[in-house]
Amino acid sequence: MDGLVEELAIAMTAGVLRGSVYALVALGIVLVYRASGVFNFAQAEFGTTGLFAAYAALELWGWSYPVAFAFGMGVAIAMGLLTERLVIHPLRNSSKVTLLVGTAGVALAAIGLQFWLFNDTLIMTMPKISESFYITPWGAPVTAQALIGVGVLAVVAILLALFFRSPSGLAIQAAQQEPVAAELIGISVRRVSMLTWGIAAALGGLAGILTGPILTFTAAFLSFGAFAALLPGFMAAVLAGMRSMPGAVAGGLLVGCVEQLGSLSILSERVPGTGAAVLFFFLLAVLLVRPNGVFVGRVATA
Amino acid sequence: MTSTLDDSRTRILEPVAPPVQAPEPADGLASESSGSDQAWRPSRAGVWARGFVWGLLAWFVLAVPANILSPFELGVADVSAATEAVIFGIVGLSLNILLGYAGQISFGHQAFVGIGAFTSAYVVVDLQLSFWFALLIASAVGALQAGLLGAVSLRLSGLYFALVTLSYGAFTEQTVFGITELTGGEGGKSAPRPTGFDSEISYYLLCLGFLALVVFIDWRLTRSKAGRALAALRENPRVASSYGINVKAYILLAFALSGMIAGLAGALLAHHEEVIVGSKFGFQLALLFVLMTVVGGLRSRSGVVIGAAFFALLGSGKLLEMLDKPLSAVGFSLTEFIEGTVGLPQEFVPLVIGPILLLLTITLYPGGIGQQIAPVREWLLGRRFDPHAGKVEEVTVNDVRA
Amino acid sequence: MSVLEVRDLSIHFGGIKALQHVDLRAGEWEIVGIIGPNGAGKTTLFNCITGFYTPTSGSVTYRDRDISKLPVHRRTALGIGRTFQNVGLVKNATVLENLRTAQHLQVGYDALSGVLGVPSTFSEEGRISRRGHQILELLGLTEVTSARVADLPYGVLKRVEIAAVLATDPDLLLLDEPGSGMGPEEAHALGDLLLELRREFALTIVMIDHHVPLVTRVSDYVYCLNFGEVLAAGTPDVVRTHPEVVRAYMGEDEVDSSTDATATQVVPV
Repeated sequence: MDGLVEELAIAMTAGVLRGSVYALVALGIVLVYRASGVFNFAQAEFGTTGLFAAYAALELWGWSYPVAFAFGMGVAIAMGLLTERLVIHPLRNSSKVTLLVGTAGVALAAIGLQFWLFNDTLIMTMPKISESFYITPWGAPVTAQALIGVGVLAVVAILLALFFRSPSGLAIQAAQQEPVAAELIGISVRRVSMLTWGIAAALGGLAGILTGPILTFTAAFLSFGAFAALLPGFMAAVLAGMRSMPGAVAGGLLVGCVEQLGSLSILSERVPGTGAAVLFFFLLAVLLVRPNGVFVGRVATA
Repeated sequence: MTSTLDDSRTRILEPVAPPVQAPEPADGLASESSGSDQAWRPSRAGVWARGFVWGLLAWFVLAVPANILSPFELGVADVSAATEAVIFGIVGLSLNILLGYAGQISFGHQAFVGIGAFTSAYVVVDLQLSFWFALLIASAVGALQAGLLGAVSLRLSGLYFALVTLSYGAFTEQTVFGITELTGGEGGKSAPRPTGFDSEISYYLLCLGFLALVVFIDWRLTRSKAGRALAALRENPRVASSYGINVKAYILLAFALSGMIAGLAGALLAHHEEVIVGSKFGFQLALLFVLMTVVGGLRSRSGVVIGAAFFALLGSGKLLEMLDKPLSAVGFSLTEFIEGTVGLPQEFVPLVIGPILLLLTITLYPGGIGQQIAPVREWLLGRRFDPHAGKVEEVTVNDVRA
Repeated sequence: MSVLEVRDLSIHFGGIKALQHVDLRAGEWEIVGIIGPNGAGKTTLFNCITGFYTPTSGSVTYRDRDISKLPVHRRTALGIGRTFQNVGLVKNATVLENLRTAQHLQVGYDALSGVLGVPSTFSEEGRISRRGHQILELLGLTEVTSARVADLPYGVLKRVEIAAVLATDPDLLLLDEPGSGMGPEEAHALGDLLLELRREFALTIVMIDHHVPLVTRVSDYVYCLNFGEVLAAGTPDVVRTHPEVVRAYMGEDEVDSSTDATATQVVPV
């Protein structure tokens, strides 16, 4: 039994660390949903695009880490703005499901581009920001990179909370709730839309670039791709009722931990990949039982 | 109010309200559909012309792959690509029932196809039963799991259900297909051809036969009360139920039918490739299936089949090869251009072209390929040539609860 | 035995009491009118009768059968047809398609046979098309048979909707504001139409409308609703002159029996 408790502790640690990535993705998803009612299926691909761009800058062109990082972020944000321009804006009067299909197309385009440009690169590694490595008292391996991820999450969460109290943040909320009224008082709904997608893409890019270095990756085999990060991110967003930013953070961490349960040896020895199974049934359970979300705090918006 | 018509016509009831004027056609053209049901008949020459084109199509689809009366020397690989195109066509029709007729989004269709594939392989190899029986079982399994998902969809709005289908796809790919006893792990599972259908051409014709069957079922679906029920409920479930339609039952029917056909397609795919691996059915395939159906044109049978075939041929590189043949006369090779100059390996071309076509479809040409070929299609079916046929205003994947 | 009986029906939406203790009866071949100001709960009442809403308390009985728990499509199967305030038709389909869809329950084959293309489907399809044509002819709608519903003007659509609901072969017809958007002459013609339809199809009709003269002329019995309650019920003339009803339409200040005799004491026509 002792082994199981220890295993659980290690799993939970990994869960929290991994969950911080999901939380970042979830924040982007919730932001887009609150601003335009769209489920953004391309959210994870903002991350992969940023990652590949940073990789190219760092490994192929030899730029310094900070510059490469910034470049990756820039490319991710550009992708977000492009998505807004080419897909979201033309379809603004279409049904939400059509928009969803549109973002799915964007995701596929990103995947296609990644395959195109990087298919011949067999194994890709990216150096971590810090190669340090710790072991917690209960035997869980923790990389400094992962800890940095958690730190970034905390900072981002606080910044977002502050941002939404600022005029721009309020403008975003106003534009989503009452587009016509917002236009009348001088808020450009168009600008707000671009701002939203830019921020969401930045969040996605952050998530991608921070996780990339943790494992080796290829265009075909990402630890961050659609199934790996998009789904858990959406799960966390669902837990947050698609509304609450703090809820997205809490949800991300929870999803990370729940996913780890699937990799406990009692299960994964029988069947590999039970993480996906656990997530599927968890998602079903949450949607059927508590469709309004679990971590929905006192958010003063509709 | 008495009838002003000739009393020699027997009437059950006399009209009780004054007649109403027909509206002006919106585009100013006298379109075929307005007015009475008097059938317009094509001229003699028209019949011959249509017959000729039908013959040409039949020759292209049947004789050319068999290398009968054909100047092209098609090899085994070519016919194999054609088979794949046909199977994709079946998948497209299956997804069209869900997406186009019932208005339900599904990013998990590759799971239905994949499970159908492995089920069939399992039945033939492990249970030692006949191929035909395997097809039946695979279809039934497809219908069953789709029906279960359908039951879930009744409780959720469209966007959340899309998420569930995505998760189902991940669950299937990573968990279910990870069970090596069922799926043979990395090496894949073998799925031998049925006796008598070993050759590529015979298997191609078999799949073509099934495509025809599915088209028939789809045709009857749209012309029967089930099709009308789906058309009503996807636009306005309240009105549909007040017409006496059991909305929930018909949504489940759509799911079951869609899943059944997807399972069938999966089984055909398995025995076509003779070895199937689980990793084939991933997120890209999910997106590709939705894409090809939307680009093909929702609710357009011919559009969906052509769209699916297009993407299949594109992915196997055959389309580029086909285009290269005439282009080689001018000394230009499309394949070389794309692989060499542009640097895009040909198996990824659908991933790049697909989203571009999708964007064009949902913004500019909502009816997709189906809309573009509608004038020709209507002409072939014996109606007057109308360049404005098949006009669609917006891509409507209607989910009234979204 | 009455055709429709609503007993003590109440429905609350959160804090809003949309209907309170409503009683209503419709006898065989009667035309029952429902009037009342906007927001009185008339459409809510229809929604409860047809099954779109589940009442908080009370019951709905159809020919002595309690239908309170039946889903909408089963009530249609029993013979309850209904039109909607905002025109309930499948907008992207043609008029004839709507009529064919409306005959869903009369089609002789089941869904599965239809999909498989069983031979009887073809003859049945022909039969319901013919019936659709007949109903359209009856209502003078032959010209618009193949027109798309979304392209037609509102007035025509109201008539198309009646054709569609007749196609469901109803026994009890619930009409929600059939006369909306009509002037006095049109409303009069509508009244003639309803009387004729009752006669031809042996219908019982319950109708909501704001054209008081229309309702008064054709109804055998009238209910007036306000704030979710039945204000008055009786023959048309009784209801029209009922002080509560007058007050509901005219407002509190207008009705004052102590002022001079020329003040109107009836609901204006």
